[in-house]
Amino acid sequence: MHEHKVKKIKGQHERVILVGNPNVGKSAIFGLLTGKYATVSNYPGTTVEVSYGNMSLDGKRLLVVDTPGVNNLIPMSEDEKVTRDILLIERPVAVIQVSDAKNLKRTLMLTLQLGEMGVPLVLNLNMEDEARDRGLTIDTRKLEEILGIKTILTIATQKKGINHLRESIHVPKIPVTKIDYDPVIEDQIEKISALLPEANISRHSIALMVLSGDESLKEWLNAHMKEEDIERLEQIKDETQARFPAPISYLINQARIRVAENIANMVLKKSLPKGGNISALIGRISMHPVWGIPFLLLVLYGIYQFVGIFGAGTLVDLLEETVFGKYLNPWAVKIVKTLIPVPILQELLVGEYGIFTMALTYAIGIILPITTTFFIAFAILEDSGYLPRLAIMANRIFNVMGLNGKAVLPMVLGLGCDTMATMTTRILETRRERIITTFLLALAIPCSAQLGVILGMLAPISGKATVIWAGSVFATMLFAGFLASKVVPGEKADFFLEIPPIRLPQAMNVIVKTVGRVEWYLKEAVPLFILGTLVLFVLNKLDLLIYLERIASPVVVEFLGLPAKTTEAFILGFLRRDYGAAGLLALSRGGMLSPLQVVVSLVTITLFVPCLANFLMIIKEQGMKVALLMAGIIFPFAFLVGGVLNFVLRTLEIQF
Amino acid sequence: MYNREGSDKPLSSPIDKGIFEDEALQLIWETREKGEVKLEDVIKELGNRSAIEEMERDGLIKIKEEKVYFAEEGEKRARDITRRHRLAERLFVDVLDLTEFESDACKIEHAISTEVEEAICTFLGHPPSCPHGKPIPRGRCCATYTQKVRPLVQRVTDITVGKLARVVFIAGTIMERLSSIGLVPGAIIKLQQKSPSYIIGIEEMTIAIDEEMARGIFVRVI
Repeated sequence: MHEHKVKKIKGQHERVILVGNPNVGKSAIFGLLTGKYATVSNYPGTTVEVSYGNMSLDGKRLLVVDTPGVNNLIPMSEDEKVTRDILLIERPVAVIQVSDAKNLKRTLMLTLQLGEMGVPLVLNLNMEDEARDRGLTIDTRKLEEILGIKTILTIATQKKGINHLRESIHVPKIPVTKIDYDPVIEDQIEKISALLPEANISRHSIALMVLSGDESLKEWLNAHMKEEDIERLEQIKDETQARFPAPISYLINQARIRVAENIANMVLKKSLPKGGNISALIGRISMHPVWGIPFLLLVLYGIYQFVGIFGAGTLVDLLEETVFGKYLNPWAVKIVKTLIPVPILQELLVGEYGIFTMALTYAIGIILPITTTFFIAFAILEDSGYLPRLAIMANRIFNVMGLNGKAVLPMVLGLGCDTMATMTTRILETRRERIITTFLLALAIPCSAQLGVILGMLAPISGKATVIWAGSVFATMLFAGFLASKVVPGEKADFFLEIPPIRLPQAMNVIVKTVGRVEWYLKEAVPLFILGTLVLFVLNKLDLLIYLERIASPVVVEFLGLPAKTTEAFILGFLRRDYGAAGLLALSRGGMLSPLQVVVSLVTITLFVPCLANFLMIIKEQGMKVALLMAGIIFPFAFLVGGVLNFVLRTLEIQF
Repeated sequence: MYNREGSDKPLSSPIDKGIFEDEALQLIWETREKGEVKLEDVIKELGNRSAIEEMERDGLIKIKEEKVYFAEEGEKRARDITRRHRLAERLFVDVLDLTEFESDACKIEHAISTEVEEAICTFLGHPPSCPHGKPIPRGRCCATYTQKVRPLVQRVTDITVGKLARVVFIAGTIMERLSSIGLVPGAIIKLQQKSPSYIIGIEEMTIAIDEEMARGIFVRVI
């Protein structure tokens, strides 16, 4: 098992930890407090990694920690565990609970748990505007009285209330919470507490975790307690559970809900909500069993127009053909030839496999515009709240692959960048889902750059070619997913997803997020492009390229029915699939590929091994063994599908 | 409940005897759920030593070292009677909204036939536990899950879209997860969609779950 261990944060500054339910705006508040950007979106569980940022408060420097959202401090998924573990190891000066003002009861359930832990707390009720629109007013003064902590209203998107929140960090207090559990449970809490070591959070709260049967706590217990004491804990837990017909964790939750409900009833006033909300209407249509489908098609069409036509067409033509082709490359050739009289260096920089003429032209002329337009579209989708609705629409299809709709986020993000998406699989609850999703991303999901190049190549041939390509890749994904669901051990996970309201994406957030992602992407891609070009250059110089082409020819030429030169593209594909696709594009433009060959080669390169960066991410997330196994399956699989497709298309004599 | 005054005479009428036995068997079943059953406690509760000893002779129970155990026939009867009692409680609480129901449940448990018992069970949607949280022994009807009678307490999957409903109980492991967002018995939910997934509104939240999970949520339409 590959675990993400939470290590104690290094550094001397005092810490302020942001905690809260998913999708309440922790990252937005984090950004406002620290001036540092953390990915903000309208999708629960966007923060899978902990972010750190500095803020200064009256001349004192504080380290602010943004954590993944939690519904419960008894973790159900890996990202929830991260947050709980941070509270377990750190000793912060203050914890700020960021919350959604319109869901007070749920907020309070977490406040109560933080109170039981005994952490110094400030309660931040964010999205106050949305609560008001729905006719909800919270008597914060009374709430402060009941809980004994500062309660601050904010609207993060409008930067309202942030100064109050900053000031409140001076006066965090431990919330006054008294929850009455069943007397039997109370007794057992005492028994367990007596066995527990000193910790940063109260023994009482750890005892509750033990009683709830929290498996994720084992690691900590093993590190801090003797084996026989842990066995004793297990014994007490089992004894206690045997006395109740329902799971203890449920009884504990129920007791907390009762208290939360009482408090909410005391401080919450309801009046009539503002009616006739257009975003609510869009929200309903977009997940409607019938209207949802045309809506989805409309969204896809919009993305295709923006990314496929505008990004991959107009912008690429402008940059690659005009800017690079007519101006930059000829200039570069001229400058290099005058300044550097050494022919081999000239060739290295501006030759057929030149760093400038090949690597940078691809990276900036082709990949950059496509990636940028895709990430803009993705950020808009993400911030609008459409993605969870897409998850609902896709749930059934994903079931076939042993996944559920929740996997939609990593899969769609994979269309931007598979490496990023592989990291995002952490939002999935079971290891089985994470492995299947990672595998399918590596196999069948083309990243934006690759997708752009592919669509650019298919568009001039015919709609039929595009449909055959997409159909082959999709069918392969379903089939491979189906097989994986039979092979990968583990149980099917329940589908449970919170649907946020539809919101108007904020231009600034979309821009900041796109810039961040494009930067990330370029940092990852460009060095590999240059490396790939160098490899090709060296292979070419040493005449190894022809040798490799000859070795690969039984597969490439005979089985796939492609010209020997496509081997080059596949070699590039080992470094990055999109680079491989760009190589194919060059061949196709040179008139070396027939329409049928284009389709076969594109299907093969789409399914081809994950790029180097993605491969490294798979190792990081799932371990070397799994990564090698996946690559070992995917490599022959891609050629097999390509070969079968070649055979089928030729046998049926399909014309494009 | 019966004959608590401590008379120690054998019970004369067969009806009285039957009811006494039922009470005794149910008491033993309930005590056994918590641990071992001491003869002394049973006698103290029911107050009739000779009638209990007669039950042993009749092959309903066994007494060993001052502790009471079920014989096979007694266990089966105890199971049935407990099941009827707890189903009756569920009926009174969930459907009739009664708060004082204990003594009526005690009466009804002796009176209903297997057919009626199964009809009630189905009507309630085969509930797993009584209002006190104790398990209801499963019956034949629960195994086959036929839903010929449309129950008042239904699965979320069986109610009409757009309806408001109060959650009555939640079966299975999903309740831990649902309870962490406040979806617990007593909460009011609105079923917004059944397809492509189940969409449920609770307070200001909207959640999507699959059919399997939705089947575990039992509600009463309001």
